[in-house]
Amino acid sequence: MISLLDIAERTQKGRKMPEDAWNMSLFRKISELVKRYEIPNYTKDTPFLNLDDDLPERAFHAGVDLLVEHGVYCITTGRVVELSRDEVLGVVRESPKEILVGTGKDARVMKQRKVEGKEPLNFCPGHHTPFTQDLAPIVVKNFAQIPRTDFIEGFNFTEVDGHEIFGAPIEAYASRRQVSWMREGVRKAGRPGLSIVLYPITTRAEVLTAAIDPVDGLRSGDGILTSVLPDEKIEHDLLATAIAGEDCGLWRISGSFSMVGGFCGGADGAIVEGIAKPLTAMICYRAFVNYTGVENVSTVSALSIPLQPLNWARSVVNQTLNRFTNTICMAWIIPTSGPGTESNLLEVAFRTIEATINGANLYAPRHSRARMNAGQTPVEAEFMVEVSDATLAAGLDRQRGGELLSRLTQKLEGRQPEPGFTIQECYDLVNHRPSPDYERIHQQVKEQLTELGLVFP
Amino acid sequence: MTNEETKKIALDSLKDAILNYDTEEAQKAAQAIVDQGVDPKVAINEAVLGASTTLHERFERGECFIPHLVMAGDAMEAAGKVLESAIPKEQITSKKVVVIGTVEADLHSVGKNIVAMFFRSGGFEVHDMGVNVKAGSFISKAVDTNADIIALSSLLTTTRPYMREVIEEMESVGVRDKFKVIVGGGPITPEWAEEIGADGYGTDAYEGIEVAKKLLGIS
Repeated sequence: MISLLDIAERTQKGRKMPEDAWNMSLFRKISELVKRYEIPNYTKDTPFLNLDDDLPERAFHAGVDLLVEHGVYCITTGRVVELSRDEVLGVVRESPKEILVGTGKDARVMKQRKVEGKEPLNFCPGHHTPFTQDLAPIVVKNFAQIPRTDFIEGFNFTEVDGHEIFGAPIEAYASRRQVSWMREGVRKAGRPGLSIVLYPITTRAEVLTAAIDPVDGLRSGDGILTSVLPDEKIEHDLLATAIAGEDCGLWRISGSFSMVGGFCGGADGAIVEGIAKPLTAMICYRAFVNYTGVENVSTVSALSIPLQPLNWARSVVNQTLNRFTNTICMAWIIPTSGPGTESNLLEVAFRTIEATINGANLYAPRHSRARMNAGQTPVEAEFMVEVSDATLAAGLDRQRGGELLSRLTQKLEGRQPEPGFTIQECYDLVNHRPSPDYERIHQQVKEQLTELGLVFP
Repeated sequence: MTNEETKKIALDSLKDAILNYDTEEAQKAAQAIVDQGVDPKVAINEAVLGASTTLHERFERGECFIPHLVMAGDAMEAAGKVLESAIPKEQITSKKVVVIGTVEADLHSVGKNIVAMFFRSGGFEVHDMGVNVKAGSFISKAVDTNADIIALSSLLTTTRPYMREVIEEMESVGVRDKFKVIVGGGPITPEWAEEIGADGYGTDAYEGIEVAKKLLGIS
């Protein structure tokens, strides 16, 4: 497999190209590949879950060709990293289908799943959201108390020890504190060896690597988020971190979903980038676990609840990656409504059912417009596990799953994203249970899903 | 055919060329407008900016994407040059200039790209500085390009203080009053914008461009 040092060298020696030119060249190449491999675009008759068994193979070749014919762009040096077909296919063949994360009795195996697979899903409650220092360890403890948690991702905050986080020195200190608070939280949950993934305070290499510390910081068995940037781009701080992380036994994870509306174009182009991007993460950062799928450029603003064509495009991407590569896919279950609301749980259910059938695992981040201490609670996280188990128990295949999602859509259409509540308003962090109001909503949503065909124990 | 009908056909041709992302056709259509003696300022307002409104609506409905906004922007610029060449120099109002980027230590680009393209297709001259841009670089570019607006994006609570850094550096080098500063991004709120002394805040690209126009007195 091509080494990270080879990649680093190519970022220094590849051909120069202005970023604007790269962006439009990428759009033209993806458009060409969409035609070459007859990737269909979405129509009103397109199902929620892909039923075309030939499409993933064509999509796979389109993704590989994108890397071989267009390469990857380094924004730090403004150079193109060129890759041969053998190098790309070598990574496809040789990357692991499962990795061990964490240490001792708390170690877990992260696995690639199968499309319509019956095996339980791997699960990560990640925060990816700002929490205040006073809440951080107890919030982590609550997420680590969820028995099915396989690893836990960090969070962001604005102050540390009374100081605003601003500038590399305090960012580096905050990076260390994030991990030590997480370590404290997992210890309090009785799971000291649970794998912790650093969420970047900022993406400077010195800030990311400051957290590496075998005593109280990131250590072998822990992970670090090194995401490939939109439009097939990488950069030096993340590459430097990947190199340091590999040397220290840290596994890497990349946010590798594509975005409809960006330089990949529509849903058809997003499918091609959505396949190329996790391969890029494996090649350039040796990140074998990836948040995969397709989002929309406007989803980040949570202006509306995103449904089709994203569901179908995500389905093609995850089916392709699971059938033709070794990517360990994590579905980014990101609702637009905040915690404590029915809309949030319905959106979470929708994406979880989809992920379970497409063969992805579960990554439970914040909602898309998260506020301080209001990004996520353990309810939505545990609910994802409940829904994925209920989906497996119902024995849903792609056809029946798609029909169920179609009915579930009727409950979501026309809703506007709701801000929701802070974690203290809707969750009892001391006793690890939701507020009575939130528990009532939780049970009501489960009843609605049971009526639609899920089988809860 | 009346003059009004001829004029309408010419303006529609230019608008269509822009909406088909066809730079060459846009140039030809603009030249035809000039040759017919249609007021070029009317063409800019009705055909070019009219196309811009349609594009933004298409983008909102998911019918076109960022690369289409880039191509439409190219067509608009090409047509604009032809039309402006027919306007007497003393009547030319120069384009408003925007310097835009994601602040230091932040690599998020998507929201910034959308806003940049909205500005460009809205008739602004846009200088996109990319991501991870230091305060001094924003200011140098704004000075060099005689900018009207500096637009700052951040998607992390830990990078938004760099927005304040830009404003403070503008103050320290004595150029704060020369440029309007607008801010946006996931963790950015109107309260934050006020706290750091920004001139405006936009929840999204649509609001951002409206706020900018208001600050610059553009109807």
